[in-house]
Amino acid sequence: MSSTTNPNTEHAPSFGSYPRTTIAVISLALLLAFSFSSLRGDTWVGLLSFFEWMETTWFGYVGKTWGGAFALIQAAHLVSLGVLGGAVLFSDGRLLGLFSSLPIRDVVDGAHRVFVWALAVVVGTGVFMVCGVAVKVYYLPVFWYKMLTLAVGVLFALFIRKPLVDREISEVNPKIVKLVAVASIMVWFTVAATGRWIGFS
Amino acid sequence: MSNAEEKTVKARKDDEMAAIVVAGSIVAFFAVYWFFQIQSVRELLEMAYG
Repeated sequence: MSSTTNPNTEHAPSFGSYPRTTIAVISLALLLAFSFSSLRGDTWVGLLSFFEWMETTWFGYVGKTWGGAFALIQAAHLVSLGVLGGAVLFSDGRLLGLFSSLPIRDVVDGAHRVFVWALAVVVGTGVFMVCGVAVKVYYLPVFWYKMLTLAVGVLFALFIRKPLVDREISEVNPKIVKLVAVASIMVWFTVAATGRWIGFS
Repeated sequence: MSNAEEKTVKARKDDEMAAIVVAGSIVAFFAVYWFFQIQSVRELLEMAYG
C-alpha cells in the first residue's frame, strides 16, 4: 500500500485555511446569540443555587464572619490587579511605541510572565471574595459585566494577543499590533473599572 | 516560496485576521459602552445641577 501523502493537505487545519479566524468569528457569534437569547436568563436563574452554595463554603464562612481576613484578601486582590494593570500597560505601551529604548521582545515576554502570575492571584483572591458576598453580587448586573469582561480579556490575551506577539513583531502589520494593544488596554481597564463599581453598588 | 514558508505566512495572516476581528469588536463594543456610561453620568449631573 502506498504511504505517500499530498504535502499540501498533510497538515490541513480543521477549519479551512484560517482556523483561528474561523474560531474567533464563531465564538463572537455564539457570544452574541447567548447575550440576546433566553439562554442568558435561564443560565442566570440556574446559577442561583451555586452562588447560595458558595456562601456556605469555608471561604464564604470566613469572608462573612472575619472582616480582617476579607480585608487582607481584598488588599492582595487589589495589589495583584495593580500588578496586572502595570504589566498590561507596560507591554501594550511598548507595542504602541512607548519605552522605545527597551527591547520589545524582552518587554513583551517579561510582562506576560508577570501578567500570568498576577492573573492567577486576581482570580484566586476574587473567588474567595465572591464567596463572602455571593448572593449579593449574584443580583448585581455589574458583577456579570465584570465576569464577562474578565473572560473576554483572558481569552483575548491567551488566544489572540499572545500568538500574534510571539511572532517576530516587525513582520506583523504595525497597525494590527497597535489595534491589539488598544483593545487589550480597553478590556483590562474595564475589568478594573467594573471591579471597583461592584464595591459601590 | 517553499511549502514551509507558505504555511508560515498563512499562519501569520490567520493570526492577524483573528486579531483584527476580535480586537476590532472589543474596541467598538467598549467605545460604545463607555460612551453611553459617560453620557448617562452627564445627564444625571444636568438633572442635579442644571
